Amino acid sequence: MSRQHAALLAALAASIAVSAFGGSINAYFLDVAMTAGIAIVMAVSLNLINGHTGLFSLGHAGFMAIGAYLSAAVTLFVGPHLVGPSPSVITTQFIFLAALITGGLTAAFAGFIIGLPSLRLKGDYLALVTLGFGEIVRVVFQNIPALGGALGLNGIPPLTTFAWIYGSVAVTVFTISCLVNSTYGRGWLATRDNEIAARSIGLNTTRYKITAFAIGAFFAGVAGGLFAHLRMTIDPRGFDFSRSIEIILMVILGGMGNTLGVILAAILLTLLPEILRPVAEYRMVLYSLLLIVLMLVRPQGLLNVRFGKQSKV
Amino acid sequence: MTELLQQLLNGLSLGAIYALIALGYTLVYGVLRFINFAHSEVFMVGAFVGCYIGRLAGAVTWWSGLAALASAMLVCGVLGFVIEKIAYRPLRGAPVLNVLITAIGVSLFLQYGGQLVFGATPRTFPPLFPETRVSLGSLDISTNQLIVIVVTTVLLVGLQLIVKHTRIGTAMRAVALNPKAAQLVGVNTNTVFSFTFVLGSALAGAGGVLYAMNYPSIDPLMGVMPGLKAFVAAILGGIGSIPGAALGGLILGAAETLVGGSAFSTYKDAIAFGLLILILLVRPAGLLGRATVEKV
Amino acid sequence: MPAPLLQLDQATLRFGGLTAVNGVDLSLTAGGLHGLIGPNGAGKTTLFNLITGVYAASSGTLTFDGKSLDGLRPDQIAALGIARTFQNIRLFPGLSVFDNVRVACNLHRATSPVHALLRGKTFRADEAAIAARVDELLALFNLERFREKPATSLPYGEQRRLEIVRALATRPRLLLLDEPAAGMNPSEKEDLIRLIREIHTRFNLTILLVEHSMRVVMTLSQHITVLDYGVKIAEGTPSEIQSNPKVIEAYLGEATTSFTQS
Repeated sequence: MSRQHAALLAALAASIAVSAFGGSINAYFLDVAMTAGIAIVMAVSLNLINGHTGLFSLGHAGFMAIGAYLSAAVTLFVGPHLVGPSPSVITTQFIFLAALITGGLTAAFAGFIIGLPSLRLKGDYLALVTLGFGEIVRVVFQNIPALGGALGLNGIPPLTTFAWIYGSVAVTVFTISCLVNSTYGRGWLATRDNEIAARSIGLNTTRYKITAFAIGAFFAGVAGGLFAHLRMTIDPRGFDFSRSIEIILMVILGGMGNTLGVILAAILLTLLPEILRPVAEYRMVLYSLLLIVLMLVRPQGLLNVRFGKQSKV
Repeated sequence: MTELLQQLLNGLSLGAIYALIALGYTLVYGVLRFINFAHSEVFMVGAFVGCYIGRLAGAVTWWSGLAALASAMLVCGVLGFVIEKIAYRPLRGAPVLNVLITAIGVSLFLQYGGQLVFGATPRTFPPLFPETRVSLGSLDISTNQLIVIVVTTVLLVGLQLIVKHTRIGTAMRAVALNPKAAQLVGVNTNTVFSFTFVLGSALAGAGGVLYAMNYPSIDPLMGVMPGLKAFVAAILGGIGSIPGAALGGLILGAAETLVGGSAFSTYKDAIAFGLLILILLVRPAGLLGRATVEKV
Repeated sequence: MPAPLLQLDQATLRFGGLTAVNGVDLSLTAGGLHGLIGPNGAGKTTLFNLITGVYAASSGTLTFDGKSLDGLRPDQIAALGIARTFQNIRLFPGLSVFDNVRVACNLHRATSPVHALLRGKTFRADEAAIAARVDELLALFNLERFREKPATSLPYGEQRRLEIVRALATRPRLLLLDEPAAGMNPSEKEDLIRLIREIHTRFNLTILLVEHSMRVVMTLSQHITVLDYGVKIAEGTPSEIQSNPKVIEAYLGEATTSFTQS
């Protein structure tokens, strides 16, 4: 068994242990921890696209939305249709797993569809297409009455637990780290650093970009599914541009391409709103100032520990 | 048929506003090579200045209206100058990604800062010009809409004159084509950058006032959607091309108004993004733009 | 007479009104070491870009080992066995020296990305083999002491060598070198000449060399092609080229120079 597999299993075991035996943990802390876990999955998945592969994706919340709505559709409509009104606990867990994967795969498919034609565009144009995509997703879900339309979708079963979230965190980090550190995965970094040179050594950079998009979108979709079954209600406005910006801020703060930095940044930026709750109305103002100051003063991030120049677009 | 023509007329007015905002984006992108995400907030500030002056003026006359318009353009021009100096100039030479992120930061700062200063609730924009409806055969149009079209045309013509027939305009075109070469022949690129920003921001300010005249509810986040759509218009027409921005604005205004009056009206907002994706896939240089080749 | 490995027939490239490469014929036999020279702007790098698929030819044919290169992407052409270095060094700044070469081993990777998740014996063996190959190449070029350093922190000459190592990691049959001696002093140039000779024989390569340094080009090349304003103006052995008045005129405008200095 490899080191990475051992770490994955240990993380899964620990997550299940907390869920099973952590009954006495303060519910508020638990909720913050779970929110942080979802943020970690979103940030690490975006990091693959923006950080490791150097694409400027501004619509990551769109993938989260797709995962949220599709997974909710499975647990609310498809599941009961298949197994009746009172399934056993085990069956429910399987349905949840199927829902999360459905959400992830649909998001990945959307990533593939959007990526295929757009990834040959220059950096700022790609940013716009992804931004437009995020907005289109929002408008589309706003116009589907069966999924609640503009009023949102309620009554989603609360199936998300600490174990599910941190289990997903472990799988996400394991998958992306193993891939990025392999010889294959170095191709993403090469695509980011110098696409022309990458092509000259035989890398199909377009395929690398699409793959990064699809994998990043998959995990964002899973995060969306976890989110939907934690909050029990979702509405299109919760997946707008400012949600995408929050995730981007985590990736930048953590140092684009630095997985550990991004994880820390996700945790920090989940705790920050809680700490800033007394001055909640200043939160976005402070975030935006943080963005500006970071770019002016330390664009390589605060929490990163790697070498190398910031990539050029 | 009359219905269609009426819709197109409405679309013309909306399109003119998009064109004005799009011009600011296209000027900045053409000369400085980046998307000024904060442009939509300058538009918003223009609307607020127009609101303030309009309230201050008391009476509703042609002069007070013009004063409101001019003040908005002035204030926004200054705002653009300040933003460029503080947030973008220090990043000259940094990777474009960094500047884009900074621009997003400035945009968000103005939006949420605006919410803190003005409050998040929308306020009513006062009438600026005396308003009546005018009949053109079987079609009718309000004077506000006419003012939009006239002002936009005047500003467009003025812009073309500046760019084609003044020294600073020629300098702008030179920097847009080749910044290093422009410097070598003595063009002060800093001056050109500042001027471009002032010009584009003034146009956005005008756009803000004209928009608010026709959609009289303003709030600090009002710039986001029109800004995004205007940027789509700039890309549609060919980013970096002045006539392109005008054309793109008109097409988008018409398309959006037609969809808004159709059975698919709830998808009105998505039209812009659908057009964006379509044009970027089919002809990324835009309708009137030129594709550039990268040297290997 | 064996068929040429690389054959260009009337290769032409037009950028709007400018014809950068104009009806160039070129024939490289397998195992040869061929020079490509010409004044600045003659179209040498553009020709490289044509061969490697960065630009598509406006007319004419390009054939490699009997296969047409028409319509192929740069990564497909690399997979056929053509590798190159760049006039302005294009290393991967975010990767270490080791990883810069390792990433070039993807062309001949034996496992799929899924194996990276399963991490079984096959995967570990493949990664180990790749690592061994990279270390071997780095040692050959005396770069092993920089293994973990960021690629762009290397001294200039080492960066140029690293680019050649990276190209070699793709196991090419044809290697295009774009001004490898640029910015080098005379003793570095001698080292480079030795190095290129060595990889020419050790790796059984066909080499097409663009160089401004006449010492390097004349010493190494078996055959030389001369371009000027996108047109081939001469072709022959080094001594033939050195005494060709058209070539001398292209460089200087008058027949006064000697081509034996640097």
